Amino acid sequence: MTTRSARRWPPAQIALTAVAATLSLIWLAPLAWALSTSLKSPTESVTSPHWIPEHVTLDSWKEVLKAGDIPNWFVNSVVVSVCVTVIVLLVASLAGYGFARTEFRGKGALMGLTMAGLMFSPAILGVPLFTTVQSLGMVDTYWGMILPQCAPAAKVYILYKFFQGLPRELEEAAFIDGAGRWRIFFTIVLPLSKPSLSAVGIFTFIASWNNFLWPYMVTNNPDLMTMPNGIATVQNAFGIVWPQLMAGGLIAGLPLIIVFVFFQSQIVRGVAHTGLAGQ
Amino acid sequence: MSSTALTTAGRTARPRTGAGADSARLRWSRRLQHGGWFVAPFLVLYGLFVILPVVRGLYLSFTDANISGDHSGFVGLANYREALRDPLVWDSLWHSTQFTLYVVPLIVLVALLMALIAHHTTHFKWLWRLCFFAPFLLPSAVVGNLWWWLFQPTNGMVNHVLGLDTPWLTQKSTAMLAVVVATLWWTVGFSFLLYLAALQNIPQHLYEAAELDGANALQRMLYITVPNLRSITGLVVALQVLASLQVFDQAVVMYQFGPGPEETTRTFVQYTLEQGFTTYRVGYASAISFVLFVIVAAVALARMWLLKGREEATR
Amino acid sequence: MGQPGLNRRHFLGAAGGLVTAASLGFAALGSGADALASGTRTRVRYWNLFQGGDGANQVAMVDAFRRTHPGTAVKDSTLTWGGPYYTKLAMAAAGNRAPDLAVMHQGRVPGFAPGRLLDPWDTGLLAEYGVREADFNPVLWKRGVVDGELYALPLDIHVQLCFYRKDVCRRAGLLDSAGRLPAATSTDDWFAVLKEARKQLKKGQQTLGLHANDQNFCWWFFVAFYQQLGGTYFDAAQTDLTFDTDKATRVLEFFRKHVTDGYVTPGETDAEAFLAGSPFTWEGNWSVPYFTGEKVDFGAQPLPPVFGTPATHAESHSFVLPHQAGRGGPADEGAYRLAAYMVTHATTWALGGHIPAYLPTFQDPGYRELAPQNEYSRPAMDHQANEPHIWFAGSTGILAQRLGPVIASSNLGSTAPGKAARRMKNLLERLLAAKNPMTGRTAAQELKGAAA
Repeated sequence: MTTRSARRWPPAQIALTAVAATLSLIWLAPLAWALSTSLKSPTESVTSPHWIPEHVTLDSWKEVLKAGDIPNWFVNSVVVSVCVTVIVLLVASLAGYGFARTEFRGKGALMGLTMAGLMFSPAILGVPLFTTVQSLGMVDTYWGMILPQCAPAAKVYILYKFFQGLPRELEEAAFIDGAGRWRIFFTIVLPLSKPSLSAVGIFTFIASWNNFLWPYMVTNNPDLMTMPNGIATVQNAFGIVWPQLMAGGLIAGLPLIIVFVFFQSQIVRGVAHTGLAGQ
Repeated sequence: MSSTALTTAGRTARPRTGAGADSARLRWSRRLQHGGWFVAPFLVLYGLFVILPVVRGLYLSFTDANISGDHSGFVGLANYREALRDPLVWDSLWHSTQFTLYVVPLIVLVALLMALIAHHTTHFKWLWRLCFFAPFLLPSAVVGNLWWWLFQPTNGMVNHVLGLDTPWLTQKSTAMLAVVVATLWWTVGFSFLLYLAALQNIPQHLYEAAELDGANALQRMLYITVPNLRSITGLVVALQVLASLQVFDQAVVMYQFGPGPEETTRTFVQYTLEQGFTTYRVGYASAISFVLFVIVAAVALARMWLLKGREEATR
Repeated sequence: MGQPGLNRRHFLGAAGGLVTAASLGFAALGSGADALASGTRTRVRYWNLFQGGDGANQVAMVDAFRRTHPGTAVKDSTLTWGGPYYTKLAMAAAGNRAPDLAVMHQGRVPGFAPGRLLDPWDTGLLAEYGVREADFNPVLWKRGVVDGELYALPLDIHVQLCFYRKDVCRRAGLLDSAGRLPAATSTDDWFAVLKEARKQLKKGQQTLGLHANDQNFCWWFFVAFYQQLGGTYFDAAQTDLTFDTDKATRVLEFFRKHVTDGYVTPGETDAEAFLAGSPFTWEGNWSVPYFTGEKVDFGAQPLPPVFGTPATHAESHSFVLPHQAGRGGPADEGAYRLAAYMVTHATTWALGGHIPAYLPTFQDPGYRELAPQNEYSRPAMDHQANEPHIWFAGSTGILAQRLGPVIASSNLGSTAPGKAARRMKNLLERLLAAKNPMTGRTAAQELKGAAA
């Protein structure tokens, strides 16, 4: 009995686990503090810092949900992230397949142009991007938020590499069976690409849900803001109320964390997949 | 996955024999001519929202255009000349660089440490993964608000835990450090997962062989783990440098869109947006945007060049 | 797995499909959930930057308006005060998605491209809602007029004040027989007051809240004391600088002395320190309801006239119509109704410490009895120090953004006062030579153009 547990828990392993636990606690502490703050009254939150609320109250959560803006922004975030994810998956898989498997005039040049796109971002070219979207009349619209997030050179590149690695024989066989190239794409290639597509999809969704800079630039109307943007730029008329700020932040952050708890292995694989593709 | 693919293939593929299959293959590849339709939707979006802004930005950088789009005239190189003399361009560029210099090594070290720990522990792996990665899933605005609160001098968690009364966010000596700490906490999880995946990809037999040769744990680490992580470290560093030079979100939220104490946390992206949207000088903002673009492009190209060099060396 | 797994997959698939369809539909529809919910009533979108006590009063006023005007739905949005607010407002107006009504500091109007980012008020229509020029302080009304058109309808004047705790000052023997603090008329006087008050404090408490590292407060306080010395910025034609670095140095040395003599702790949260027993703090009048609410016995008066001539920094909140291509219709009329209501029902607003711009309210006995408003409103109104009337000025404008940090760095000792004053002069010189990006003209050219 003792020997067996000693084998499972050698001293080195115990030490390592202790380090891991400490580090995890440090990493969780800010979130725990946010949760604790959100359960305090505004006055308690600014009187001598302490971890456990003396009087646990859900007032801040209720206030935040009742005030109207945050539920509204939540809907906007869902609308924008879902649209971006769907469009990106469609557009990037088509383009990745097109570059990997088809021939057309100027393919090499267009591929090069797409690769160059990896160097641009709204952070760098925000001002010209804004004036472009402005001239298209899309400032303060959903599409103005969505479409500029739907030209992802990096995602095209990842799927391009994936499609290149698929065995050609399958498609050829289907073609001999008389299938057209669109049918081949949708009925054979896409089902085979589920792992890659879900990795790209997960990442697109996270990036879009958390995207701050572009929605910040293109939306001014608080009706249309997404969660991150609204939280940062629209203030409670009653001043900084830390418990409400934390409750709002947790509402914005929790959905993805909950999703992560349930789909941990897929997401981890997704990170490795998309990240390592750039290696 | 690949085994499913093979069985599906076996089921759908008819036996292919002789010339019939060859000519079919020929027709197949011919059918793929004009595959441009696959790429067209992407190219339209890419053209509208990447190429057009670049071209437009380049044009604007030679004008004195304002945010409302009127009264714009061609001014030649005046914006670029002004940028070279503008101390705030250099200050903000330095702040972004400074941030990068602090944050990248920290992320690499902490991510590697976390990955080694998570890789070598035998229990609760999922828990470490969850704890280290969870902050990455938060929006930057939430991270900014959260650390704004945590760094409050009298009621914040940081001073409470450390037993200090440091005014982190209002003195210039700690202002940037605060942003670095928040960023490390927030983003290290991504690099951690990359390292973890790379560790899991190192063939186990290398370690077994080394152990047979009598190498101790430290030697195995130095001679097997470290060399095998070189290429992933290159990737982590490159990704982090490119992202850090473009830092904006968490810094502005922590300092309520201001420049920080004595203007010590104004990042370069922030300055371009201030010029464009606070001072309304779209032309000038476009010009200084290209300064950052050139730097980012140089870093990206340098990495490609390094990778190519390494590939040739290993060949 | 088998059957349940399949069911779950079906369920997830259906749910995902529904969310996707709903999202695409929503995006196609193009308006936020709240706009849809407000239905067919006239919806006035009103933006402001009022937080804290001001925010509460403003919400109370809007609510009162809603009760008396049930046909008008007001969607009020409070954006982050200062720079970010004006950024959002300018971008919305430039993108032709502006709100129907917005609040703006009057000093920002010249730089906000009246005519392009702002639409003028129709004074005839305003009169229909009971707002007439005759009911306003003429200087204040005129400051909102550009090229003969009214762009900024004034709501208030707000000033920087010296708040003092009566309990601490009484113990220090600083109050007169009426229980008020006599105004210090020289720097020596002022520091003597601080010295006496400090004797009453616990260790670690600061004597004065100076916002030493806040660029906006730094700039506002500078404007006040620089004017006390009779300092000016530009000549009348706005072609040449008249900035006096000697006077500026005196002001900066005055500020700096508070820090070196230990009366001010940089980085302290000044308002909270005041509530905790610190005797003095320099704050905007908007802190009046905050301190009143916390049951502190305090007084408030204009910043001390330590350089002889009284003057304290003053700005004004006003209502503007951000540019909309097709301004008019029910939402526009709703904006007029709301603005007129707020301006003429400013008693609630005056509780926030602001001095009402609407004279009937200002002269109302009810207002005159408010304390501590009655201690400061008259003298502050008569001795205003305004920022120069130029395109780069105004609350949290370019001037404050550029010069404020220089003053802060002098306060904190990073830059010597004399050097900081010279740096301020250089910055002013460059701003004066710079073209207003909205018009493509320098300040001098704009002035000449307006005169022609």
